[in-house]
Amino acid sequence: MPRSSQSVSALREVLAARFPEKARRPEGVLPTGIAPVDEALGGGLPAGRLTELVSAAPSSGGQLVFFQLLLATRSARQRLALVDGADGFDPQDAPPDALPHLVWARCAGAAQALAAAEILVRDGNYAAVVLDVRGLPVRSLRQIPASGWYRLQRAAEGGAAAVLIQSTLPLVPGVPFRLVLPDSLPLEGARSPRAGLAGRLRVEKARGHEEALPSTLGLTG
Amino acid sequence: MNYAVLRAEDFALQALRRADPGLARAPVALLRGEGRHALAAEVSPESGLPPGLPAPLALARCPGLLLRPRDPAAEAEAQSLLIAAASTLAPRVEATAPGCCTADLRGADPAALGRALRLLPLELARAGLAVRIGAAATALLALYAARRADPVLVVERAAEFLAPLPLDFAEPQPGQAEVLAQWGIRTLGQLTALPRAEVGRRLGPEGVALWERAAGESERVLRLVEPGRTFAVEWAYEPPVEAIEPLFFRLRRFAERVAFELRAAGLAASALALTLLLEDGSDYRRTFTLPEPNTDVDGWLRVLQAHLETVRTAARVSGVRFAAAEARARVKQDGLFDTGLRDPQAFWESLARVGAIVGEGRVGTPRPADTHRPDAFTLEKPAPAVAPAADAPVHPPRGLVPRRFRPPWPVQVAWAEGRPAGLAGPELRDAVREARGPWRASGDWWRPDAWARETWQVELAGGGIYELAREGGSWSVTAIFD
Repeated sequence: MPRSSQSVSALREVLAARFPEKARRPEGVLPTGIAPVDEALGGGLPAGRLTELVSAAPSSGGQLVFFQLLLATRSARQRLALVDGADGFDPQDAPPDALPHLVWARCAGAAQALAAAEILVRDGNYAAVVLDVRGLPVRSLRQIPASGWYRLQRAAEGGAAAVLIQSTLPLVPGVPFRLVLPDSLPLEGARSPRAGLAGRLRVEKARGHEEALPSTLGLTG
Repeated sequence: MNYAVLRAEDFALQALRRADPGLARAPVALLRGEGRHALAAEVSPESGLPPGLPAPLALARCPGLLLRPRDPAAEAEAQSLLIAAASTLAPRVEATAPGCCTADLRGADPAALGRALRLLPLELARAGLAVRIGAAATALLALYAARRADPVLVVERAAEFLAPLPLDFAEPQPGQAEVLAQWGIRTLGQLTALPRAEVGRRLGPEGVALWERAAGESERVLRLVEPGRTFAVEWAYEPPVEAIEPLFFRLRRFAERVAFELRAAGLAASALALTLLLEDGSDYRRTFTLPEPNTDVDGWLRVLQAHLETVRTAARVSGVRFAAAEARARVKQDGLFDTGLRDPQAFWESLARVGAIVGEGRVGTPRPADTHRPDAFTLEKPAPAVAPAADAPVHPPRGLVPRRFRPPWPVQVAWAEGRPAGLAGPELRDAVREARGPWRASGDWWRPDAWARETWQVELAGGGIYELAREGGSWSVTAIFD
């Protein structure tokens, strides 16, 4: 093992001993119903943690992931909050019975979305809060101060909600879990059942359990 | 107990302090009189001074003392608060004196009343008004009890309670006090131990009236007042304010009064209307719908604060109007198996706060409209409990999920062999690799807002599947399939 890796490992052990609460693994996971995503996350979205899902290419399946999460939480009768930064969710596309558990906040910009997400994450009644900032101008996303994301992380750590951030580029410094959807899906497969499409999504893990450090220390980012 | 008396000591000083955030913890004295004869009539505990000192002497003994004249507007507001608070105990209330209200409790539920009496001083203290409450069989006895309460005293046995009270409680005339002092009478108990008729023979009808007051038996008809029912307040700032803190301080004070008035009327607020009157003559108006009617002032203010922190006005705020829309409070009890919300209060409050940030009607549970018109839906108040899911649909949804562009992106479409071959617009410019369509739909032809559209699904050469739609003769990209 290279010397730098040994140093980092040693540092992690020291930090884990010094801040056992911060190094604690999430106590539960929320299955999304998408095998590639759940496998990459060790069972599902971790409760009390942030997970970033980066749609690196257009039509790469990010909204499909949300749709499956919508169905999974519906069947479990859990509350789901969607903080929709660019107001892109289409409720007409979902079966009517898939929506009663959903709270949809239609935001107009990154600042609104982040403020609304923090309130809902702190609420304690939601199994998952999805903050979708896709569709917002990249410039406005880059203007979100790191402190905004840290506040959201702190809010999540105090509760049981899994927090999923959907973006088109890596945004959240020190996020414990980051997945990337790298490929655009072709039109020819667009008529397949959604469950099957979701099962075939290619998901890359850019950051996960093994890499996760106590994010308060800002050693990752 | 038939009557309750709410009494605020040093009422004028308390009213002054609850209206001015700068006086909250400072040594303050209320001036009475003018010039060299001015007295520090009421003094705050922080000053360590006795009341009634000449103002120069009070200043000499407490150099940091803030001397203030009475503030009639603040006293009127505090009196309104007190009346509204008393009205939550019973509907028949008398404004007995400044800082003193009497409520006729006859007919009230004793169990609920006991709880309300215990809570009311705490609620009023949060509203900046320290009160003592006495409850007894007569209004006079309740007043005596209020003077001795800490902060609540319910008199069950009148004779035992009255016996040790000093004679001053019965307010003897100076001549009577002198005579009674010569008789060695110093307490109400000593006076009422004398035969009433003998006291009357020696001191006349005034003596009988004094004896009756000493016995707490003096009955009178209450001069009833009605608490305000407008559930609205308006106030001005002179000079105008720029920061949010002074605005919030007074907003809280007035909201507390409105909340008491709502409770007194058996109502709750379903919406809050806030108007900021600006120095340049314009105003800023906003209405906040509360997910659940309530009288929780802290919750109201969190909603207002969440919004006001995002507001930038063109000019300073010279006045504020605040009104609560009245509604019946929810009395329904949830079912035994309705376990949808872990913390209902937090849930509704979070929704209201998010609503204050994102705008009225932009947070809730979506319900698609019963039409094929595109993008037709309503946002509704979320259900308190999530019902079990229905069986899976026979035909499961297919394809990628659309994410809409609101508003749609206008594009110019290049055509080849009757199919889209390229898109050009400010947001999107690419060749079309594959296109499917057209799908044509229309509806509501009998209405003025009839609609008709033609849609295509196009896959661009650079990746991405989009919905292309023509409405009213122009093309736009309405969604991405993701």
